Amino acid sequence: MSTYIDVADEAAPARKAARPTGFAQVAPALAFVAIFFIFPVIALLLRSVMEPAFGFGNYAELLGSETYLKIFGNTFIVSGVVTVLSLLIGFPVAWTLAIMPARWSSVVFAILLLSMWTNLLARTYAWMVLLQRTGLINKVLIGMGLIDKPLALVNNLTGVTIGMTYIMLPFIILPLHGVIKKIDPAVLQAAALCGASRLQCLTRILIPLAAPGMMAGALMVFVMSLGYYVTPSLLGGTANMMLAELIAQFVQSLVNWGMGGAAAFVLLVVTLTLYAVQLRLFRVQSTGGR
Amino acid sequence: MLLNFDRLGWWKYVLLAITVLTAAFLLLPILFIAALSFGSSQWLIFPPPGWTWRWYAELLSDPQWLASAWTSFKIASIVTVLSVLLGLVTSFGLVRGKFMFRDALKALFLTPMILPVVVFAVALYAFFLRIGLGGTLVGFVLSHLVLALPFSILSITGALEGFDKSIEDAAVLCGASPLEAKIRVTLPAISHGLFSAAVFSFLTSWDEVVVAIFMASPTLQTLPVKVWATLRQDLTPVVAAASTLLILLTVMLMTLAATVRKVLKK
Repeated sequence: MSTYIDVADEAAPARKAARPTGFAQVAPALAFVAIFFIFPVIALLLRSVMEPAFGFGNYAELLGSETYLKIFGNTFIVSGVVTVLSLLIGFPVAWTLAIMPARWSSVVFAILLLSMWTNLLARTYAWMVLLQRTGLINKVLIGMGLIDKPLALVNNLTGVTIGMTYIMLPFIILPLHGVIKKIDPAVLQAAALCGASRLQCLTRILIPLAAPGMMAGALMVFVMSLGYYVTPSLLGGTANMMLAELIAQFVQSLVNWGMGGAAAFVLLVVTLTLYAVQLRLFRVQSTGGR
Repeated sequence: MLLNFDRLGWWKYVLLAITVLTAAFLLLPILFIAALSFGSSQWLIFPPPGWTWRWYAELLSDPQWLASAWTSFKIASIVTVLSVLLGLVTSFGLVRGKFMFRDALKALFLTPMILPVVVFAVALYAFFLRIGLGGTLVGFVLSHLVLALPFSILSITGALEGFDKSIEDAAVLCGASPLEAKIRVTLPAISHGLFSAAVFSFLTSWDEVVVAIFMASPTLQTLPVKVWATLRQDLTPVVAAASTLLILLTVMLMTLAATVRKVLKK
């Protein structure tokens, strides 16, 4: 009986090509996304070359001023350090998760997901309190005799780095876990049988086999870090601005839409370029960024 | 050898130690905030000198906190309904339709997930200033819907791709109308996808802060905006209480989602 439907479908291939199906169902969402997503973003970017005068003046000012370059520097350095730290901590955790007994790994997974879905502000607030001069971290370090005076851990880039690494860890552990899980243990067994030591197996087989996943995850964490707004502005303080906060400040306090649009365009181009690289090289799906 | 947990030797303990420490690192701030919200010290001293409900009482007696929580809940609920409905219709078109640029369109619908939120927030702020939607409930709903819709489309297309359409066709051949077959056969079969779409949409809106900061007006703000504004002034324990309530709702929804998913998959 079902062939009846197939025959009906194939009987008129010319008509099928001429009359697309299903577009009407996609049209409302397309209209919505066009009006409330694509149009506003393009309009903002247009303002960067229209205001105050037509041309690339805003970009020249943005890339020619030492203050703004320092903010770009902050953004890239913090994102880079956060990426390296996430990778260094995330790789062993993802590796352990891939091979440890399921009973235990499900507990770690639950913690990873809980942390990922816990309100970003709540987690950032926790670090503001934990890292302050009289906070728990300083107290513990002094109590252990490791330091004499409290360290300045917040309102600077150290605080931003700690808070951001904390937020990015699940985003690197989860995809890496998937990559390591897919590696065939027989490859490592063969290497061991041929006399490779544990360290050789790690550096010559496991890490190279996981490398594409590590690169993809690292790129994703780097890109997400570049655009974060909430955590850097709360943990960094006003003196250590990052790119997202600069954009917000241009628009909110300075009401300079031209410069705000230009800074947004720089962030957008870097983000989309790195995503394109990632898609080209690794074909790994990615999620979320605040 | 390296992928066999029992044959790792002493490496096993190193790896386990790193994993346990990392899990503790991830869990610590969440538990810390929950503990602080019951601590009696105004200065957030830990361990606190005593335990108290005072901050919750302050939170619940302040009309501003209550109003912002109610606003958040209202917006998230409306966004959830719209996001699931729009996501459902769109997913049918994306999975079963045949038209040009279908894959490109699907990618387009997911871009709000990868674009830096601050860029979108600033762009929409400018747009809404012009058309007068800034600081309105409609403005909040529309902006959160842009961010929630990708999660909805991902969940529902995923479920729909896993559903064998010939079952729906069979219902039609047995005499059901195409719409009836969709409602009585297909929808129950993809209900786990619809449910995930609802949970993700709700949480996306409930937890959203960057766009909300730009959308908010003095008279209309969501709970995260109120937390944000308070945090910029001081680190009062009332924020710990508010944060704990935000976390509690997330935990409840996630537990519910996990349970329902288990039941629906059976």
